[in-house]
Amino acid sequence: MLKKRLVGVITVKNGWAVQSFGYRRHLPLGKPEILAENLDRWGADEIILQCIDRSVHQMGPDFALLDRVAQMGLGTPIIFSGGIRTVEEGIQVIQSGADRLCIDALLRDAPEVARSLSKRLGAQALIAALPLSMESGRLCWFDYRCRTHAALDEKVVALLSDKVVSEALVIDWKNEGHDRGFDYELLKHFPLGDVPLIAFGGLSEAAVLQRVLDVGQVVAAAIGNSLNYRENAISAFKHQLVGLPLRAPYVEIKPN
Amino acid sequence: MTRLTIGIVDYGVGNLASVRHALHAMGYRCRIAGNSETLAQSDLLLLPGVGAFPAAMQALNASELTDFVRQQAMDGKPVVGICLGMQLLADSSSEMELTAGLGLIPGKVVPLEQSRWHIGWNSIEVVREDPLFKNGEGQAMYFNHSYFFDVPAEYQAAVSRLDELGEPFTVGVHRNNVVGLQFHPEKSQAAGRHMLTSVIEGLCRA
Repeated sequence: MLKKRLVGVITVKNGWAVQSFGYRRHLPLGKPEILAENLDRWGADEIILQCIDRSVHQMGPDFALLDRVAQMGLGTPIIFSGGIRTVEEGIQVIQSGADRLCIDALLRDAPEVARSLSKRLGAQALIAALPLSMESGRLCWFDYRCRTHAALDEKVVALLSDKVVSEALVIDWKNEGHDRGFDYELLKHFPLGDVPLIAFGGLSEAAVLQRVLDVGQVVAAAIGNSLNYRENAISAFKHQLVGLPLRAPYVEIKPN
Repeated sequence: MTRLTIGIVDYGVGNLASVRHALHAMGYRCRIAGNSETLAQSDLLLLPGVGAFPAAMQALNASELTDFVRQQAMDGKPVVGICLGMQLLADSSSEMELTAGLGLIPGKVVPLEQSRWHIGWNSIEVVREDPLFKNGEGQAMYFNHSYFFDVPAEYQAAVSRLDELGEPFTVGVHRNNVVGLQFHPEKSQAAGRHMLTSVIEGLCRA
């Protein structure tokens, strides 16, 4: 049967992997490709490589980074996020070594490009990244470029309901990088009940992960900072998460 | 033993680098090309995944690779399709619009009935005695698709189910020198690469 996934997130700024705190502070961790190699070795179900400064500065995707990661020949699917502005850039990202794309600024700036991208690559290759928070009991969408938030607009809801993207990455940006847990209200108030969700932000404890993954609509949990501080963190979480449909903790199979 | 050369067919939207680097890591020589002259020099043709069926067939037709791949397969060259590449082996697909495929394995590509998408890790069940598939039995592989290859039972090699009691759907096909894998073996960590090695070695050294 189809398993729920534990996804490792690598946040990249100025070409360096960073530890991120609430979309505000960033501490350098090292080379992104080293972190990707670790997550691959530890058996992450997918790896999100998110470059958080590419859209802000209109730099386009970081193809050099993608190339360095691709050349490592990792066996784990790579989801790339950051800077994609056109259909051509999206296709080039796939050709360069990513398996799926996660789009954020594009949802606001050019939803019609997201539709064209979906026609070329298939919706299964696209994920909508949605930094969300609850403000006065209302679900709000955070724009990290101008640091404002507003209700999810009709265009992005239409992208989700029209199945232009296959999954939504629900980012609890206020709890990202902290150990306060994940705001479950974000899941409860998500406007579409049939869109598969990936939860991200504040998921650093097994009990929190368990509660999020118990939600039927949640198909995956994405974990950032906390994975980098202990060996085989993915496997350790999987041993702690009982009763969930997860892929067995990674065991290397030696060829005959 | 001679090092095999894999010809990766470039039809415009495939995950070329992913496949190439994985095959390199597995010890194979690779040639990525959108022309028949280069691809003809390989020991095996590989159709990679990612993309929509009509755009992929349009690209194959535009670069005059459709007839080349068909002829190579008929001449006995091993052909492996991964994900969308497996679907291209079919007679036709109804994705977006009815589009003719390569017709190397009878059947048609149709939407999954039980879910809009099949994304993530799922175990496969091998449904026939087939040395190319046998080490995949029960292994979890990485999937990312919304259509599947509805194929006659005689060509069906492996199936998966969305849940334990769900209807099985085809995820592996095999007809003579042509094999299709709906999952991404190159992105299914050790289990996937072990299986891809079996398929390549089984087809090329049989």
